[in-house]
Amino acid sequence: MSSVLNNPTEFETALEAAFNARSKTSEAQAAAFDRYAKLRLPNRRIEGWKWTDVNAVLRGATPAPDDAPDAAVPVSPFAALNPLEFRIFDGRIELPNEEMPEGLRYGVMDPVATIPELETHAIATLNVAMTRKALGLEVCEGVSFERPIHIRHFTGGAGFAFAQTMMRISVGARVQLIETFEGDGAGLYSHLFHMNVRDGGECRRTVLQETGAASVVNSICAVKIDGGARFEQTSISTGSRLSRHESHVHFWAPGSSASINSAALLSGDRHSDFTTDTRHIARDCAVRQLHKGVARDRARNVFQGKFFVDRKAQKTDAKMTANALLLSDGAEANHKPELEIYADDVECAHGSTVGALDEDALFYLRQRGLSEAQARALLIEAFIGEIVEGVGDEGVRAVLAGRVSDWLEMVK
Amino acid sequence: MLNIKDLHVAVGGNEILKGLSLDVPKGEVHAIMGPNGSGKSTLSYTVAGRDGYDATAGGVTLDGEDVLALDPNERSARGLFLSFQHPMEIPGVQTMNFIRTAMNAQRKARGQDEVSAADFIRLIRDKAALVGLDDAKLKRQFNVGFSGGEKKRMEMLQLAMFEPRFAIMDETDSGLDIDALKMVGDVVNALRGPERGFLVITHYQRLLDYIKPDAVHVLAGGRIVKSGGPDLAKELEKSGYEQFIEAA
Repeated sequence: MSSVLNNPTEFETALEAAFNARSKTSEAQAAAFDRYAKLRLPNRRIEGWKWTDVNAVLRGATPAPDDAPDAAVPVSPFAALNPLEFRIFDGRIELPNEEMPEGLRYGVMDPVATIPELETHAIATLNVAMTRKALGLEVCEGVSFERPIHIRHFTGGAGFAFAQTMMRISVGARVQLIETFEGDGAGLYSHLFHMNVRDGGECRRTVLQETGAASVVNSICAVKIDGGARFEQTSISTGSRLSRHESHVHFWAPGSSASINSAALLSGDRHSDFTTDTRHIARDCAVRQLHKGVARDRARNVFQGKFFVDRKAQKTDAKMTANALLLSDGAEANHKPELEIYADDVECAHGSTVGALDEDALFYLRQRGLSEAQARALLIEAFIGEIVEGVGDEGVRAVLAGRVSDWLEMVK
Repeated sequence: MLNIKDLHVAVGGNEILKGLSLDVPKGEVHAIMGPNGSGKSTLSYTVAGRDGYDATAGGVTLDGEDVLALDPNERSARGLFLSFQHPMEIPGVQTMNFIRTAMNAQRKARGQDEVSAADFIRLIRDKAALVGLDDAKLKRQFNVGFSGGEKKRMEMLQLAMFEPRFAIMDETDSGLDIDALKMVGDVVNALRGPERGFLVITHYQRLLDYIKPDAVHVLAGGRIVKSGGPDLAKELEKSGYEQFIEAA
């Protein structure tokens, strides 16, 4: 079979071979692959990817065998919260081994045919073409689902894996969602999350990016928010060879609000990228966004935040702040806050800082008896603290605080 | 106790202290007075071990031990305390957590047991009342949003908590009203004892109405140019520092 890709990399040749070898491919997926052939993997010349060169790190990756044995599943960091646990092993979905609880419906389903707002996104398009099965979740109307829902993504081996999750938070429903990215894979893991928070619904999402140093992770979460709804997101990443967590948050109806907070704790050669695109299509919506990045050694922290405000989206209230702390000369922070506003009666602001630990504060703490390592750890913890403190649920907050302490202990 | 001998200190390549010698015996309170730019804060930072304050000659010992060879936290564990002229705000650092961590770090370095949470809370409440700090302030981030006076009270709170062997008070009186000055005097006087020493650095004589020094030294041009009894402070208040600036 001839290639639809012009001058493909080794990685793309393997992708295409895997795609062609599949017994069942929908027309939509074939169309998506053709679209991908025009888009191609983003490199640094593509705006939005200039600091996260996916193409460079993936050139040589080859596919993971379908029958790769799953590594033993480690105890969940959130086990104490007794979550309902879904697992995705290199794209293979495992549902909870228990009776479906009341108020929640879930199952394995066909992947989405397309996500219009992501049609120009190369990896999202590839994901649409390549994903075999999607996890579907629905919180039923009016249900406050108390037990956290935990989706654990595992990456293993080299190569690539694709998965999707579709979730609907029905009218007036509430849910707490946790996602963890785990495992020691050395290839690409692409996850596409399509979420809809219906009128009056509420979703609190927590993301922990903790895969090994060799993995390449691109998680894309597209959230459609209806009227009078609430979306709260807190993500903490320790990076990986290249990790990029994207949030595409769209306000479609008035009176909704969101918080989109993230923290990156990076050492060695790790790379973390938080990219968000918040689009205000409807009026009277508010968003608060806070990003904190800590990088040492040769690590790189990327933050790209965009607020788009349509001319109909009057009374939009949107604030974005990104702060980075660089602990070594070789560490880097790249921030790109962006506003694109077409409405005239709005309040939108952004701020960005990059700095080192405050020498005055360090000396003060050491004068009081703290060792240099203790003083540095206390100041870094204080810097990140605002992200952790912003999490409403006490149990989740405690787990995140523990993860931050563990990281500080590790890099001491 | 604290012995400073022919100390020369350069900051950013400029020599600020030019052969300063000073001896504060156990049980005594000495005051250092001097004009702006005479090297008062350089002296306190050097003794406490701040980076960038490098002794190019001379030495500092505390009970015979070479202080300059120790890290700032080791000096702290030996019982050396600096009350900062400009205490900083440290956003995100919880006050109680920090003071307890500091206290336990000092105790651990001295081979003592950590203070229990219950004992610590009892102690800090007592001392907060002593220095006139509201309990609510202890639950805040360290010094964040505090007035200048409250920050100085936070310094005195730590002095009272840690009970150091030797305390340097760098212009603790600046920005304080009479009630606060009296509080500072009360805290220091309660700690005075045969095993403890203080070095009180000040511009003005008024703090010395509340803390009676055993000796007063005039620092000008990077060295001690005159030493005397408590009366020297009063004399300076009248005559000013002009004579010493010229002499230095």
